[in-house]
Amino acid sequence: MGSYIVKRVFYGLVVMWMVATLVFFMLRIIPGSPILASLGVEGDPAAAAKIRHQLGLDQPLYLQYLVWFERIFQGNLGNSLYGSHQPVSQLIQQAFPRTMSLATLSFVIALLLAVPAGIISAVKKHSLLDHSFTLAAFLGLSMPDFWLGILLIMLFAVQLHWLPAIGYVSPSQGLWPWFSHLILPATAIGTAFSAIIARMTRSALLEVMQEDYIRTARAKGLHENWVILKHALRNSLMPVMTVIGIAFALLMAGTVIVENVFAIRGLGRLLIISILQEDYPLVQGTLLVIAAIFVSINVLEDILYTYINPKIHY
Amino acid sequence: MSSEFDRFPEEERERIEQEIKQAYDFDPQDPLFGLSQVELRGPKMGRRTVLRLLAAAGALSMWHLLPGLGGGSEVFAAGSGGELTAGWAGTNAISTLDPAQINQVLEFQITSNVLSGLTHINPDLIAEGDLATDWKVSSDGKEYVFKLRQGVTFHNGDPFTADDVIFTFNRSKDPKQSIEYRLLDDIESVEKVDDFTVKFKLHAPQASFLVKTLERASGRAMTIVSRGALESMGAKQYGLTPVGTGPFKVTSHQLGQGVVLEKFDKYYDPTRPKLDKVKIIPVPEPAPLAAAIAAGDIQLIGGNPPAPELIDGFVANPDIVVSILPGPGFQALWVNPWRDPFKVTDFNKPFDELAKEPGFMVRLAIAKAMDRNDLIKRALFGRGLPAFGTINPAMRFYFDQTINATSSQRFDAAEAQQLLAKAGFPNGKGFPTLKLNVNSAGKREGEVIVNILKKSLNINVELVIQQWPVLIDNFDKMNFDLLRIGSGGDYDPDDGLVDWCETTSKFNGPTRDKQKMSFGYFSDQEVDKLTEAERIETDMNRRKTLVQQANFITSNKVMCVFLFHLMDILVYRKEVNYPAVSRIPGLVDLDRTTINKKTS
Repeated sequence: MGSYIVKRVFYGLVVMWMVATLVFFMLRIIPGSPILASLGVEGDPAAAAKIRHQLGLDQPLYLQYLVWFERIFQGNLGNSLYGSHQPVSQLIQQAFPRTMSLATLSFVIALLLAVPAGIISAVKKHSLLDHSFTLAAFLGLSMPDFWLGILLIMLFAVQLHWLPAIGYVSPSQGLWPWFSHLILPATAIGTAFSAIIARMTRSALLEVMQEDYIRTARAKGLHENWVILKHALRNSLMPVMTVIGIAFALLMAGTVIVENVFAIRGLGRLLIISILQEDYPLVQGTLLVIAAIFVSINVLEDILYTYINPKIHY
Repeated sequence: MSSEFDRFPEEERERIEQEIKQAYDFDPQDPLFGLSQVELRGPKMGRRTVLRLLAAAGALSMWHLLPGLGGGSEVFAAGSGGELTAGWAGTNAISTLDPAQINQVLEFQITSNVLSGLTHINPDLIAEGDLATDWKVSSDGKEYVFKLRQGVTFHNGDPFTADDVIFTFNRSKDPKQSIEYRLLDDIESVEKVDDFTVKFKLHAPQASFLVKTLERASGRAMTIVSRGALESMGAKQYGLTPVGTGPFKVTSHQLGQGVVLEKFDKYYDPTRPKLDKVKIIPVPEPAPLAAAIAAGDIQLIGGNPPAPELIDGFVANPDIVVSILPGPGFQALWVNPWRDPFKVTDFNKPFDELAKEPGFMVRLAIAKAMDRNDLIKRALFGRGLPAFGTINPAMRFYFDQTINATSSQRFDAAEAQQLLAKAGFPNGKGFPTLKLNVNSAGKREGEVIVNILKKSLNINVELVIQQWPVLIDNFDKMNFDLLRIGSGGDYDPDDGLVDWCETTSKFNGPTRDKQKMSFGYFSDQEVDKLTEAERIETDMNRRKTLVQQANFITSNKVMCVFLFHLMDILVYRKEVNYPAVSRIPGLVDLDRTTINKKTS
């Protein structure tokens, strides 16, 4: 197990290096002049040339790559090309807790909605409840999360004045302000993910419920709830876990549009803005972090598999 | 053409015209612009003096003179205190608050509340000392001595002295530290006379020196920064949380998440600011912005102008106040003269000769087909004024009231169709499909332009949405058929003519392939001569003639298809008391703003 994890971490690092290198060179291929753009609509091309020189962007590409790579090992992700050239690591550090908060709350909401709905749908197959949950799931899947977000703002912020419409407050400023700012975007995101997880839970559970050992468990006279929760659900969790893992990784990579709607600058929004502005160091740094998140979640998921299914050995 | 100006009663318009006439009535050779040394002295300069200096600096605009803007006698309904939350529209982040790096209005809207200049002009057009208490000017207009305000402290407790003025000057003058270095070209030196006296020496008399260069809001290059704070926190952190001597101090700034300003208790004017706290949240999307102000989550909208489609909703909402003033700048559709079918490689030919060239005919056809009123109605929901040149109605004195009727670009669909037919494309037949490059914010305008050209000329235009770095790069390299870009600008005619119209102007295709293109999007020797002449012309009536002539040629010879001039729109909830004295287009000064507490 230990050697497997070491191997996975090593592969993960290789993946991160490949992502970083690919991104570095692809960014330079994209047309555009980020330095001139950073000076605004009336930016002076002469001033842009000076800044380009100062930042070493007029150096040969391989040299820029080597310098950048060397700095990564020193823990320096560079500085943003825009504004006062803030350190990329600082920008990521600020965005990360916001994304973490939003992703975690969305994830909790998704699971709270999805798992019970999936179980009930599977157990009460073709019942009114099953049809209702299926309909709700399709609604959740069909309705874009940003649209749901706007509807939630209109209802809970504009009409009822119960919750704030936009913004983010750090938990250090109080749990309720933090929660009240996050509950609407988290619901918007969580609803869509819950639909996917609920459908997956239902189908996985239905499949397991046909297995012989479930029939055996029932024949032994075990209580139905025990059969479902102890035997069926646990064994149906493997495919569900895979989806949950991917879902959480996607959430951690940021939910750009919802972040935009609620004016929350998380990792996703940071990444998209930096791509649109061609802010090379920020794109590189953010993608590196996102790649690290994906790799970590994958490794974590592999470890979790062994707990869910003891038959799995690495 | 209608404008805000025309909506005022005749007597008001007469008063305004009279003030403008007086402002420009001086001997152009006089280094003091027809003013006495006494009139130019501190601690205050009267309205007449300020109008004269603004006029001589080419910065006098209509908004300076509109009735209702000169507050001052405002009685505040609400008391002091309270917290205001403002949404900064159309931006993902307040990238920097360091005056040496600022390049966006939405940024200096904030620093105007945090930092100070030596002077400040209020909307009564009284130039007041901000960090200066008094000043004298030499008889040749080239030397200014300022007495500085004593007892002023920076937000970090450091005392403000003459050293800070010199430090700011040296920093702003250094291209490695400041992008504003060119604004100080006319200043030869700044000397410390004593701790609270500084002497500026200029290369030449400069009318804009007191009212623009040193002015708090628009100055920027001479906005006073704290040496101690810069040394202790570094330039990067200073860009987030600048330390100044203004009414508010920055207590928190998380890029993309917002800025928090708090009342600076030791501000030199103990009556200001009124508010205890101001939170500024960047809101990039229009729908959440509208929802947030409707819900009362934000009480004021600053930053970029709110999306035009929101304004009618704001006006209809009884809880919201909308203040609209004419704005500077111009917006245009650029037509590449190096590409067929609108190729023109020599704009120097007389207009009649040029008009016989098929390439020019196509350019003119596109310009004439552009129904600007329709464009403004559909793309801007009526919030704009038709444009036929870089000189905009907000400049009043320089604006040519007749250009909408005299420019070759005036709308005439039938004539446009004839021109296209003469160029070899009857009813658009055989005309190639063009590409129109716009940035994502200009998508709606782009769609309307595409529709207008199809409707008027039966030509097909494909909309290409590009991100800003790509769009600006294509514009600089002359890599486009049609491209939508414009200038936010200020109230000086040079902002349009010098920056955009001259052959050597900084935006005129500086990174084009010079082997293939000897100039960028436009080059006309007469325009170059007129622009060079107007730059140094101190007789304002003569300058006006030169400006209007140059503007007319650029319009007539279709330097670009001029589209519209934007309006300056400020939106706030009715519980906010935003006094008229603070209503300066482009700025959001909050030091006199108060807020009524909710009584429900």
